Amino acid sequence: MRTGTQRRRVGRLLAALVLASAITGPRAARAGDPLVFAASSLIDALTEIGKAWQREKGSHVDFAFGASSDLARQVEQGAPADVFFSADPAQMDRLEAAGLVAAADRRDLLSNSLVVVVPADSPLRIEAPGDLAGLDRVAIADPDAVPVGKYARAWLERAGAWEKVLPRVVRTLDARGTLAAVAEGHAAAGVVYRTDAATSGKVRVALEVSREQGPVIVYPVAPLRDARHAAARELAAFLASPEALRVYERHGFVVLKAR
Amino acid sequence: MEAGDLELVAFTLRIAALSTLLVVGPGIACALLLARWRGPGRGVIETLLSLPLVLPPTAVGLLLLWMLGRHSPLGRALVARGLDVVFTWKAVLLATTVMSFPLFVRSARTAFEEVDPRLVGIARTLGCGPVSAFFRVTLPLAWRGVLGGAVLAFSRALGEFGATIMVAGNIPGRTRTLALAIFSESQQGHDERAMRLVAITVALAFAALWTTDWLTHRRARTTEA
Repeated sequence: MRTGTQRRRVGRLLAALVLASAITGPRAARAGDPLVFAASSLIDALTEIGKAWQREKGSHVDFAFGASSDLARQVEQGAPADVFFSADPAQMDRLEAAGLVAAADRRDLLSNSLVVVVPADSPLRIEAPGDLAGLDRVAIADPDAVPVGKYARAWLERAGAWEKVLPRVVRTLDARGTLAAVAEGHAAAGVVYRTDAATSGKVRVALEVSREQGPVIVYPVAPLRDARHAAARELAAFLASPEALRVYERHGFVVLKAR
Repeated sequence: MEAGDLELVAFTLRIAALSTLLVVGPGIACALLLARWRGPGRGVIETLLSLPLVLPPTAVGLLLLWMLGRHSPLGRALVARGLDVVFTWKAVLLATTVMSFPLFVRSARTAFEEVDPRLVGIARTLGCGPVSAFFRVTLPLAWRGVLGGAVLAFSRALGEFGATIMVAGNIPGRTRTLALAIFSESQQGHDERAMRLVAITVALAFAALWTTDWLTHRRARTTEA
């Protein structure tokens, strides 16, 4: 009987714990900070710039990284983002058309180029786009939606190799997903940005796509019109400040001249 | 565990606890209704309530998003009142609650159905009102099924993925739960952190199930005695 009472006590204690944790609420501690939705290829550079902002302004910045196309869709559906940093103008156009971004607030900030990566220990030689067609699996972010996948597709289409490569394509969620698939050896090769390739020691660049062969890659950034946070515009400006531009350059991005 | 892990676990547990609390009240009412009421339309209600159980979670998430997103009148009304729901923790809570509700109702309903209605009838003839008969006869006899349902609901909320990612996204520090973090980390090739989070999840699930087992066993033995 004593153990029965004991267990009943434990039961009550547990119920109280559940109640207490529920009442104190699941609100994230940082819900009061500005939120940036950004292309996954910007993870390293923006994390660094976020820390610089925190040093200077004393407040934290939240980032959600992913495929720009996914993030744009979420903003369209009402996600409370304050700044959007896309890997292609099409996603920004989409938000502008929906009235969520003002044309005057947009700034084409960065450019990048494509590379073909293979696992670091792979002996594979890739000399032309068509060589990808002979591989087992080629990781490319969704070529119908995700910017890096669309860029890769545009490059391969222009080279006349897309139709042959397509059956080999394994679709990933975003640039960093492609990089991980190659780094872990799940795919024989993958198409990512040059800046992504530089972040992983587990991959090797097998082919660089020159600016002439590749599509024009542009990363626009803008504060959102109905940003919830008062610092949205200031933060968007900070992401284009000389200090931030130096960080992008250090990570291998090409900084575009302001219009 | 790293500091980020702790934050993640605390957030996920709070969501699961709160959604279980939200499920229990209305869930008991629905379970009683389904167990006792034999009127017309019962089948339709039963099917509607079970829908989240059989639909793909992503479909449920998308339906919620359509109901509450910027493109729906309800969503616009919420935003106009300064109330952000989609892609916030509230959306995580909504998704886990909707997904775990039918699990609780199923378990509780079976438990209520096993209570002999004659016992309730006797209690009523002895002067119990319907509410007091429920608390003094029905619930004490069915409590194990109700508790089991609550644990199922809690576990479902702990691991919910599909509906959550559709309606709440995957924002670190805001809407990212353990299940979403495991997905993100493995997608980015951070296998070590992903595995650590899996281990934490296993430990949590184990603790929840073991505790329930321990709590219910006691009652089983005392009733036998």
